[in-house]
Amino acid sequence: MSMTDISPDLWQPLKKEERVWEEKTQSDIVFRQNVWLRFKENRLAMTGLIVVIGIILFALLGPWLSQYSYSAQDLTNANQGPSLKHWFGTDGHGRDLFVRVAYGARISLLVGMAAALVNFFIGVLYGGISGYIGGITDHIMMRIVDIIDTIPLVLYAILFIILFEPGLTSIIIALSMVYWVRMARIVRGRILNLREQEFILAAKTLGAGFTRILLRHLMPNSIGIIIVTLTMMIPEAIFIESFLSFIGLGVSAPMASWGSLAANAIGGIRSYPYQLFFPSIAICITILAFNLFGDGLRDALDPEIRKQ
Amino acid sequence: MKKTIACLLILTLVMTSFTACGEKGQDTNALKWHIGPEPYSLDPQLNFANDGGNIINNTFEGLMRELNGELVPAMAESYEISDDKTAYTFYLRDAFWSDGKPVTASDFEYAWKRACDPNLEPEPSRYSYQLFYIKGAQDAVEGNGSPDDIAVTAIDEKTLKVELLAPTPYFLDLTTFYTYMPVRKDVVEQDPDGWARNPEVVVSNGPFVLTGYKIGESLTLSKNEYYWQADKVSLERIDGFIIEDESTMLSAYEAGDVDVIEDVPIQEISRLKENNKDFYILPLIGTYYYIFNTQKPPLDNVLVRKALSYAIDRTAIVENITQGGEQEATGFVPVGLSDAEGNDFRETAGNYGMDTGKGNYKKARELLAEAGYPEGEGFPTLNFIYNSYGAHQAVAEAIQAMWKNNLGIDMTISNQEWGVLQDNIYNSNFDIARGGWTADYADPTTMLDIWLSYSGNNEAKWKNTEYDALIEASKTLTGQERFEHLYKAEALMMDAMIVAPILYYTDTVMVKDYVKDWQKTKLGLWFFGFARIE
Repeated sequence: MSMTDISPDLWQPLKKEERVWEEKTQSDIVFRQNVWLRFKENRLAMTGLIVVIGIILFALLGPWLSQYSYSAQDLTNANQGPSLKHWFGTDGHGRDLFVRVAYGARISLLVGMAAALVNFFIGVLYGGISGYIGGITDHIMMRIVDIIDTIPLVLYAILFIILFEPGLTSIIIALSMVYWVRMARIVRGRILNLREQEFILAAKTLGAGFTRILLRHLMPNSIGIIIVTLTMMIPEAIFIESFLSFIGLGVSAPMASWGSLAANAIGGIRSYPYQLFFPSIAICITILAFNLFGDGLRDALDPEIRKQ
Repeated sequence: MKKTIACLLILTLVMTSFTACGEKGQDTNALKWHIGPEPYSLDPQLNFANDGGNIINNTFEGLMRELNGELVPAMAESYEISDDKTAYTFYLRDAFWSDGKPVTASDFEYAWKRACDPNLEPEPSRYSYQLFYIKGAQDAVEGNGSPDDIAVTAIDEKTLKVELLAPTPYFLDLTTFYTYMPVRKDVVEQDPDGWARNPEVVVSNGPFVLTGYKIGESLTLSKNEYYWQADKVSLERIDGFIIEDESTMLSAYEAGDVDVIEDVPIQEISRLKENNKDFYILPLIGTYYYIFNTQKPPLDNVLVRKALSYAIDRTAIVENITQGGEQEATGFVPVGLSDAEGNDFRETAGNYGMDTGKGNYKKARELLAEAGYPEGEGFPTLNFIYNSYGAHQAVAEAIQAMWKNNLGIDMTISNQEWGVLQDNIYNSNFDIARGGWTADYADPTTMLDIWLSYSGNNEAKWKNTEYDALIEASKTLTGQERFEHLYKAEALMMDAMIVAPILYYTDTVMVKDYVKDWQKTKLGLWFFGFARIE
């Protein structure tokens, strides 16, 4: 059959209901199992995961384990060391430190979660669009990112909080406004790389549109790097919140986050060191656990990186 | 080769760290003094706070000075008081400014008229009412007269004549106060805004003169060789460090980096009281209180203000939070001031039916219900502002909980930088703010004057003509009759509860034992003029 035998009538777009998309030859489940197998072997990463889960449980259940409220003062019972009655002791107002540290965990995790969500929704989409469209659009979008990135994040946060009033909402909004730029950069780099590859060409040939290519082909292939970046940025957000609370720009009393608990304890560091010990150790453990977890996840999702 | 360089580098680092330690030893001629937050101003007429006052008390000198609790002639060699006690003539001694020029009576005249100039650059003095005892001063400040007409005149180079409106028994005390200290016209005019903190420009007449100023960090005072008692001044230099955090301060003190600190972290007081011989709790005449913005609803309602004040357990605050031996405050005038018959003003005036502890709680709830907010229903969230220094936050958190538990009132508390806080309070940009006032001279008017409707320090923005009349009348009276007016005036302001008094201050200081002959005036100002380091 020669080429000329094909009638031009055959070159018609398919009707919508007749369209067949690409078929997957390997299901996602196999990939996930592989990742999990590799992750399980990494003891440090597993420790990180278990600790992260532990902290989440502590934040959720901690306040229920204790009979005290985080704001109930008992001035005659101030500055008591750790005991069976008060597991972490009491602060200068006679408030139970265990409950306050548990509430601090809630705040820290909330901030971490907010940072993750913002990164995921704004950062990934922004970077993805910029990388995929390319050209002048990419240029403009990345210069905006550059401009935002020139000013340090903490400075943004401080300015924002001073402009509005200090508090958790302000911290989260301040973080949301600028925290996604690094994610946008990383995703854009990955997409620039991917969009030149054959499978994208194939998808295009099959008639896939902009949204489909972005969401079904490019994003899933970048998911590894996205998740890893995400886990690495959560502890940083937690640290920023602690830092802001420490310098007095964070949550307002009687609510306390780890940072403000540490700040309040500094004055009595010589007489009541345990008041500083518990919130600081909580910050350390959380940040370490998230970092170990993120490291392990990167190794498991992308074994190529490790081999290099 | 590389290794040798590396070794050399490490060696240098180690060596420098050793020398750094070596420098730590005490310098017998320099005192290292912690001055607290950055002073708002070092200009005698513009300053209105104790941190600036401490510096000015060491760099400038008034007609009289308080030494060891006694009033002694300073710039004045002698003085005469007229028979009707309303005219003072001061004869100045041969004293000199730090640039060698003589201190003249016209320097005083200029300074006092400057304090009463309503158009003063960069801002009018907030303490001008300290001079209202002088004829013409109040008219000048209020724009009804010219500062030139104020009855203070330099008769010749060394003679200063002052006419008062009425006999003022504590006028000589007033002349020790910074608003009354002399400044030099030619110096001020070089840089009206910043002369006092510009080491290049400033000239002063006290035992020390400012020779270095690093914003937010430190200042240096050097001995004034021209001071009239320079032979008695043994310190060559004072290094003043600006540290706002008491914990850092205490660490610096314990490490030997600072010789003198004021205010220690409240959590450490109980330990320091037991173990440290160089920890002092000194009496201080002053009151710590919460200012209500009386112009802003719902705090414009006296019932609300009373309810808030009654719902504070002051005993718990002094015993468990501040712990520095303070007394619970149930009136505005602090303990330690006497009336004409020698009775303690506070004891005589009484406590206006207030209990120091939990005793007022029930009454507080009743008052709040009477104001239309039973159990705090419908009451807006209040905002409290303070600066993050000392016990302010700890006290605020305790009171926040007391108001929440007893009245059902929510309050947010937010800290502000000292300068910002002072501006916000001055501009009435608050609901409730922390306030404190220490006496500037040993008489109740020093406290009561601030609530005059025209006082620059009336931070509650309370205006009451009856109060003004009582205070003004008291200034023309003498003896117990005068005090009757003051008792009535205090009752009036306490009845309006424009502030909630919390406690009467004490002064917690730490001074290394090798620092001798340091002084703190009755009113809490440091004086290191004759201090020595051994």
